[in-house]
Amino acid sequence: MSRLLLALCTGTCILTMGPTLMTAQERNYDENALRIDEHRGTISIVRGVSETVVAKIGVFRAVDVAAVVSPSPKAVAEATVFQRNYRPGTWIASLGIVTLGAAIGASRISGMNQAIPTSLTIVSVSLITYGGLRLETAHRALAKAIWWYNRDLK
Amino acid sequence: MKSRILRALLIGASVSGATAGAQTVSHAAPPVANSESGTVAGSARTSPPSDSSHSYDAQALRFESRWGSADIIRGADGPVIGTVGWFRSFDVGKLVGSSPQAVTEARAFKTNNFRGSLVGGLGAVTLVVGAVVASNSSNNAASPILVIAGAGAMAWGAQHLNAGYSALSRAFWWYNRDLAR
Repeated sequence: MSRLLLALCTGTCILTMGPTLMTAQERNYDENALRIDEHRGTISIVRGVSETVVAKIGVFRAVDVAAVVSPSPKAVAEATVFQRNYRPGTWIASLGIVTLGAAIGASRISGMNQAIPTSLTIVSVSLITYGGLRLETAHRALAKAIWWYNRDLK
Repeated sequence: MKSRILRALLIGASVSGATAGAQTVSHAAPPVANSESGTVAGSARTSPPSDSSHSYDAQALRFESRWGSADIIRGADGPVIGTVGWFRSFDVGKLVGSSPQAVTEARAFKTNNFRGSLVGGLGAVTLVVGAVVASNSSNNAASPILVIAGAGAMAWGAQHLNAGYSALSRAFWWYNRDLAR
């Protein structure tokens, strides 16, 4: 009788201890797939049909996106590109906007050498354009990171 | 004796197999409703035939922003199949037509994108007119009103454009969900 019970337990254990099945269930698309949600200048990364917010990326706040998409190597590579470009892009574009304000202010001061506001305007436009390019690169990388992460779900 | 042990092993295996099956069914249960996003609840995941032309790698959609508009891209490094944005009339609903939830979100995107483009565009024009009037140094009381109204309209338009892109993101999420893997 005890041998029967032992065999019964062994048969049950062999099939319930399969780790692959549990992993697949834990990382299915419906519950884990990510997407981007934008609201008032804040980018949120939401997960699954329940739309749980897993990360918020503010204007000057970049979160560790690589950690969010970590199970997928290609997603991590794209997340790294995002992180390398997002904060510098934000700061450079902001500096450009401040410089533009300074250029407008300088142009209003009478007797000011016109070369100063002109130079400031050129610098500000260059900074805004360069910052914008870095931000575009960051956003493209984020979209790709999430695409790769979702692809590797079951 | 051996046959009894073998039978017990089979019973044990079938019991645990049934349990695993039940778990699979519960995970594949219909998703929870989301009233805020307007997504349709209670749809079981459809499984299209496992055809390589319909696989996730080849067919899954995403969008990449590009200076105020967004390119719709199919696959990992696939072609740009359309561009959406200010006053662009690419039919996203038709593109994601195989998924009902995605079509609902695509309609929400279209509505929000049109409203955002229209009001945001009008706001930008109003703001520029206000700024021009103000820079002419005329003591016109209308200039601050025009500037404030223009900026307000632009902000309202930006909100709708953001809501539109969120709906587009949801549309692609649902469309990609229904692809074979």
